[in-house]
Amino acid sequence: MSPAGCPHVNGFKVDNWKQNLRVIYQCFVWSGSAETRKRKKEEGGDPQPVALSRPLQAKSCICHMCGAHLNRLHSCLSCVFFGCFTKKHIHEHAKNKRHNLAIDLLYGGIYCFVCQDYIYDKDMEQIAKEEQRKAWKLQGVGEKYSTWEPTKRELELLRHNPKRRKITTNCTIGLRGLINLGNTCFMNCIVQALTHTPLLRDFFLSDRHKCEMQSNSCLVCEMSQLFQEFYSGHRSPHIPFRLLHLVWTHARHLAGYEQQDAHEFLIAALDVLHRHCKDDNGKKANNPNNCNCIIDQIFTGGLQSDVTCQVCHGVSTTIDPFWDISLDLPGSSTPFWPLSPGGDGSTLNGESHLSGATTLTDCLRRFTRPEHLGSSAKIKCSGCHSYQESTKQLTMKKLPIVACFHLKRFEHSAKLRRKIPTYVSFPLELDMTPFMASSKESRMNGQYQQSVDVFNNDNKYSLFAVVNHQGTLESGHYTTFIRQHKDQWFKCDDAVITKASIKDVLDSEGYLLFYHKQFLEYE
Amino acid sequence: MKMEDMSLSGLDNTKLEALAQDIYSDLVEDACLGLCFEVHRAVKQGYFFLDDTDQESMKDFEIVDQPGVDIFGQVYNQWKNKECVCPNCNRSIAASRFAPHLEKCLGMGRNSSRIANRRIASSNNMNNKSESDQEDNDDVNDNDWSYGSEKKAKKRKSDKVFLHSLKQHIPLNPNSPRRSKSVKHKNGELSNSVNADPYKYNYNTGINYETLGPDELRSLLTTQCGVISEHTKKMCTRSQRCPQHTDEQRRAVRVFLLGPSASSLPDADTMVESDCYDASDGQVLMSRLQWDGSSDISPSDSASSKASTNNSDSKKPKKKKKTSLGLNSTGGGGGGSGSGGGSSSQTSLVGLSNRKKKPKLPVPPAPSIYDNLN
Repeated sequence: MSPAGCPHVNGFKVDNWKQNLRVIYQCFVWSGSAETRKRKKEEGGDPQPVALSRPLQAKSCICHMCGAHLNRLHSCLSCVFFGCFTKKHIHEHAKNKRHNLAIDLLYGGIYCFVCQDYIYDKDMEQIAKEEQRKAWKLQGVGEKYSTWEPTKRELELLRHNPKRRKITTNCTIGLRGLINLGNTCFMNCIVQALTHTPLLRDFFLSDRHKCEMQSNSCLVCEMSQLFQEFYSGHRSPHIPFRLLHLVWTHARHLAGYEQQDAHEFLIAALDVLHRHCKDDNGKKANNPNNCNCIIDQIFTGGLQSDVTCQVCHGVSTTIDPFWDISLDLPGSSTPFWPLSPGGDGSTLNGESHLSGATTLTDCLRRFTRPEHLGSSAKIKCSGCHSYQESTKQLTMKKLPIVACFHLKRFEHSAKLRRKIPTYVSFPLELDMTPFMASSKESRMNGQYQQSVDVFNNDNKYSLFAVVNHQGTLESGHYTTFIRQHKDQWFKCDDAVITKASIKDVLDSEGYLLFYHKQFLEYE
Repeated sequence: MKMEDMSLSGLDNTKLEALAQDIYSDLVEDACLGLCFEVHRAVKQGYFFLDDTDQESMKDFEIVDQPGVDIFGQVYNQWKNKECVCPNCNRSIAASRFAPHLEKCLGMGRNSSRIANRRIASSNNMNNKSESDQEDNDDVNDNDWSYGSEKKAKKRKSDKVFLHSLKQHIPLNPNSPRRSKSVKHKNGELSNSVNADPYKYNYNTGINYETLGPDELRSLLTTQCGVISEHTKKMCTRSQRCPQHTDEQRRAVRVFLLGPSASSLPDADTMVESDCYDASDGQVLMSRLQWDGSSDISPSDSASSKASTNNSDSKKPKKKKKTSLGLNSTGGGGGGSGSGGGSSSQTSLVGLSNRKKKPKLPVPPAPSIYDNLN
């Protein structure tokens, strides 16, 4: 008998009690859909009694005394009687008939009238769990998430060791500085962004990486270790020397003691992690389309490129995977304005256009504008069978869970090498709907004015990390702003972590912007 | 509330509102009940207390938000003495110097391949004397600029000229860092291959032909210029096509050392160089060497007119400086024009496949003067 059980169930646990209990759960507590139950009846293979259909169930589940169907209806376990709890009708029945047990029809809890409390019997709970799982599967709801429960022994240990590390909103756990190993601030800032990517954090903290690499040189393992360091509660900054060593070993083009570009490091790191993760799934390394590693799940999006022949208007479409979107800025040598006409709502993302500052949405609009390729770049059109002028347009086919925007601040053309310091305002929340391939299709089909679908949450993103660069093209320093809890921001400057305000973040120049999808769905 | 078959059509708005309100409050109640059951179960099963944390721990991990300290309440800049163990050589290194150490340790840096090549060559060489001279400054903890401070001071000015042009190539631009790097690398690789010959830059040692046997001399003369300097009586260690000496001089030396039968120089095309070494490179080399010696010669000066024998006199260890700095000067210009504006949005959108196609070349050499500046 479990500690939460009671001795009075023993009277019930006789004969075919398990089956009877199952019936009650199936019929009155967790019932599957009407369809499946009808089908079960027709197939006839199932020895269990047919469960009631929903309308029938609804009609029969009423209090036998007052006819109410709410008020916490309970069913007696020993006979067919429904009574409401609130008005104590079930209590009366229990007293009269000496039927000590009843089941709550809403949540399936067992009530013992002698103990006068809900009790938790191990065997009965087991049956309840199985029935619920069955019913949810039939309904197509999926698995119920159940939290971890400690065993008796574990409870004892925990009681004897009351010191805990609990992550609250005002807690430093999860934050840690990183020592600069010699011009490695470009690496530190990316590490801070990655360790504060919620999905990635969850993946590593739940120990989901099963390493199949023989040697000690798996970068994913090192990443996992990094998360352990960040959540260890240590206050001194971490020294990421092993990470540096591994990255240099696996991404030779980055190796070398000199200042590097954070964006390059991000791509290289994701690439190495992706390659090492692939071993997990046992997939071939040469099949980039089929990889289901965590990096692909989180960071990989699909960019659709449509080339339209100007003569026959045939469209040739390709979709390329991407990990980041590089955006041109005004002030670079490539022209930024004007944008194509017929653009979508400019105040979509709540950015102010009054001051004339360029916004992230502006940059995205420019990115997804149709671009005339010019007579010097004619494309062979398969419809016309000749070289024709064409326009090209980029849109998002599939958005990644984490979208990284890279503002191209470093101009490296033949004439000049410089950093473009133009201020670009970026929002805390971003809606990517106007830049999707699907939106473009509906625009082309004549729906120019797209109403903003408030209930379509698929394309809404929240900012969670901003990497900034201070300095010049030749030498500078990277820092990162990261979001820890809902609206708490911190500035990570190598080994020093300080609290930052949202205003600090939004006023900063911005070089790499990390956005996370707001609503996640199962596939 | 009794359940009856009710028709909703006949009801007015207020009644509908009331019904909706009823349903809503029922749903809320049910949800609250669920939460109550969860808590009740946790208490009864005995794991409800797990959620608590002790006061001490709470205080320990509280965020500090005060000027001058970080969120842990620590003062900034106290982490100078952190150390770590290098995974490659297992030595204990100061954390803030770990990156430059690792670069050398892994043999990835600008200097490392030169050092390595020199080591390889010195293990193959016939002349033991030069070996010892090459060993200095080659160890991992080297101070790159170890010669006399007056030389250092002299160099500074021209260093800056060089360094400035080089700085441009530090890739902060994701668009075309590789292009500039690749040009540099080409030169870098050239310099490495040129450096493969260990004798080239050791003017303070040179080769004393008196100590070599005929076989050694013969094989030496197949790869090197070999012209004997009037001043030092030592053989020139540059390649067969070194611009400082003429073919006549080379022929004469061979006759002198090996006898009349060895008068023919190997054909220029069949030279045993590990990589092609053009006259232009020779000029570049010359300009570098001169730059080493004086501070006011720009890298682009023509070398042959300034060809002098002062180089063989100089006693400075030229090893490190040669870092292809000279080569980079031409490379720098080349790099600048090479890296064109690949700045349209299309090319910036490198999908993964595009990235993989980029030539991945090793890191370009840059002045190791930074190593000391920390």
